[in-house]
Amino acid sequence: MQRKKLTEGVFLSAILADKFKTCRIAIHFLMPSRREDATCAALLPLVLERSCAAWPDMTEFSKKLAGLYGASLSAESTVQGTWRDVSISISGIKDRFALAGESLSAEYARVLFEVAFSPFLVNGAFEEDAVRIEKEKLRQILENEINEKRLYCLRQARRRFFGDSPAGVEKNGYLEELDAVTPKMLTDFYDRMVRTAQIELMVIGADEQAVACQLQSQLDAVQRSCQPLPAFQAMNVLEKPVQASEEMDTVQGKLCLLFTTGRLLDEEEYAAMRVASAIYGSLPTSRLFMNVREKQSLCYYCAAGFSAINGMLSVDSGIEHANARKAQKAILDELYRLQTELVTEKELEDAKRALEGALAGVEDSLYGIENWYLGGILRGSIQTPEQVACRIAPVTAQRVRQVFSMLHLSVVYLLKKGGVADE
Amino acid sequence: MNEPINVYSERAGFGYQTKTLENGLTLLAAPMPGYRGMHAVYATNFGSVDRAFSQNGKTVNLPAGVAHFLEHKMFENEEGDAFTLYAQTGAQANAFTGFERTCYVFSATQQVDQSLDILLSFVSRPYFTAGTVEKEQGIIGQEIKMYDDSPDWRMMFALLRCLYHNCPVKEDIAGTVESIRQITPEMLYACTDAFYAPGNMVLAAAGNVTLEQLENACRRQGLRPAAAPAEKLRLPEPDSIVKSFDTFTMALAQPAVGIAFKEKPFPADCRLEGEIICDMLCELICGDITPLFRRLYDEGLIDGDFSGETCSGADWCAILFTGESKDPKAVQKALLEEIDRLKREGIRQEDFELCRNLMYGEAVGDFESVEGVATDLVSCAMRGEGLFDRMQILSSLTRDKVQQALCEMFRPQYSATVIIRPSGVQQ
Repeated sequence: MQRKKLTEGVFLSAILADKFKTCRIAIHFLMPSRREDATCAALLPLVLERSCAAWPDMTEFSKKLAGLYGASLSAESTVQGTWRDVSISISGIKDRFALAGESLSAEYARVLFEVAFSPFLVNGAFEEDAVRIEKEKLRQILENEINEKRLYCLRQARRRFFGDSPAGVEKNGYLEELDAVTPKMLTDFYDRMVRTAQIELMVIGADEQAVACQLQSQLDAVQRSCQPLPAFQAMNVLEKPVQASEEMDTVQGKLCLLFTTGRLLDEEEYAAMRVASAIYGSLPTSRLFMNVREKQSLCYYCAAGFSAINGMLSVDSGIEHANARKAQKAILDELYRLQTELVTEKELEDAKRALEGALAGVEDSLYGIENWYLGGILRGSIQTPEQVACRIAPVTAQRVRQVFSMLHLSVVYLLKKGGVADE
Repeated sequence: MNEPINVYSERAGFGYQTKTLENGLTLLAAPMPGYRGMHAVYATNFGSVDRAFSQNGKTVNLPAGVAHFLEHKMFENEEGDAFTLYAQTGAQANAFTGFERTCYVFSATQQVDQSLDILLSFVSRPYFTAGTVEKEQGIIGQEIKMYDDSPDWRMMFALLRCLYHNCPVKEDIAGTVESIRQITPEMLYACTDAFYAPGNMVLAAAGNVTLEQLENACRRQGLRPAAAPAEKLRLPEPDSIVKSFDTFTMALAQPAVGIAFKEKPFPADCRLEGEIICDMLCELICGDITPLFRRLYDEGLIDGDFSGETCSGADWCAILFTGESKDPKAVQKALLEEIDRLKREGIRQEDFELCRNLMYGEAVGDFESVEGVATDLVSCAMRGEGLFDRMQILSSLTRDKVQQALCEMFRPQYSATVIIRPSGVQQ
């Protein structure tokens, strides 16, 4: 991967990716995550994705993409640690597969930049009807959050974990603020984003020179003043973990536990934490899978994952309602063992082998490549999968115990059924 | 052994090799230059709809969920579980059960031959005891409960139950907590004797792998053919549907709606073309280039996820339209009216060509991942199709053919609607 600075606050990362049948271009606008911007930041991708000045009608725009052999255009808004990431991406088949010899990749870049820099405006603001319709879609997204119980439980836990921290700003904004959003407010947010965000352009399997030229000509029309991004931060260790629960009419209960490291890890510690969380709960031979699921039959799934930019380890599980307390105890018992005892040499080697295998396969998918290098850009440490594998190889059992000892329970969140006794 | 057959597509820019071993096992390999990893699929032509069969003159009836139950149990033998062995090779293993087949898979970037040995040895040498079966009943019971909380999953089976009297496609792939309690080790052995034999199986791989590696792995295992062929048994399915409406409640924010059509199953030799036409008709009726999608979207009656899909097998075919809506009945009415309009006014040539382009792009994109190619190779081999047939059919498909299919399908008297209402909300 080659990353270069095009101009102040604008970077291009290019990856050759000859082996793929499709190519992908993505533009990321990175800004500080702010509570007051959250609802506009969540609504903006929905409005941008509908249309743009060149194709103002939503159906005609869909037809344009269908004509490009179903090129997939997607706009998204996420919260990455203390940053907001509004991204627009397009992917489609490479030129050599076009049935009539069309130059597809140049057209993908054109469509992407039209959406990003030339939205459909009426009297200088986003069209009123489009904003009204997409506000209703966002309302549905916010209201439908309870439909996916596993994700809902995790989000409820995260809300308690992050509290008022910028990392806790809602990805999808706030229902109570939605009515007040006007086309002008949304346009102001968009203008500020284009002027002040750090821009990361990722070109995978397409001609980066041509794409860079197109971006440059778009930026020539913008007076940019890139705003600095805040540092990421881990949440403090709490004196007493937050225990919360909610009743819901479900067949299976959901239990989520969140832990903080209290500070961000350096690259060497992060490599050790990758190994540690694999042993604890992200492999089919992990302690949680083998002991909590297989031996004790306390849950159907029970998995752990670590977020480096938040210093947060999550464990989420699907449980029998009556087993909630037993499952929580079993999950914490396994953690306690890893904090106090050394893992076996076999566990250590198996985890490293699984991680090294997964790292070797990162560059076998366009999405995997973008995700990997964007993660490196966010953390300010761009490494190839091979470089990370080299950091993982020397991790010792002692180091695993040490990094696991940094974890402190912050939040327990339970989705339970009313009237079921927890044994 | 037979000589391998090479299949190459200029249009797709790659190819694969296939051969059938003397024991009847079909092998397929698609080497994909530049990929570090590979993906292998070892599949049996035995899925959730296979609920009765005869072998050696004996008829075996199965409760719902046996194929999926076997999927779980095939990771275990007397020495231990397969995951422990895969951990020593660094491969990531998994399995899944569909209506018509069960697939055992792994992805690897190293020690491929060793992982192939694990895959073949576990899936070829079943081991069940009363104790291990009982333990799995608890674990699968939890899995069933997890799916019971998924509105999409519940919607699909509620629609299929409205359409089908006898066809087992209406039953949840994992069965029910009650049905899996009837499973015994003897029942599982009867199934593996009948269907986990090389002649009923396919081994496919794509990525950093060769056909020779697959052949050598099979040779190391010494897989033997089945003692006797098994015949799948099915109850006949009437043309009529069971009921035209059903509703129930779940913990949801807003209602979910499904509208399904029971169609005539396609003969084996034109099933792929039939499915392609069905997929295209779903796009032409309610895809995002259609006036119906736009109107319902703008009126706030559907979100961007409302769509149609084809659910087709050897002896069933259904088209399911599903999504969320604050006014399910309005969506149902609008959908039926749009189908009627398209039948009367005809599909526009421009819309047909856009949909064909879109589906061609998707077909090319499907060849991008090692998982996708290996999985498609299995599916094609089991259905007697070639990997590149989809592109070929798309390039020769005409608007008239799609229009003719539309006029013969989507009959209102064979349609059912299901509404899932949020808990606590009265109809």
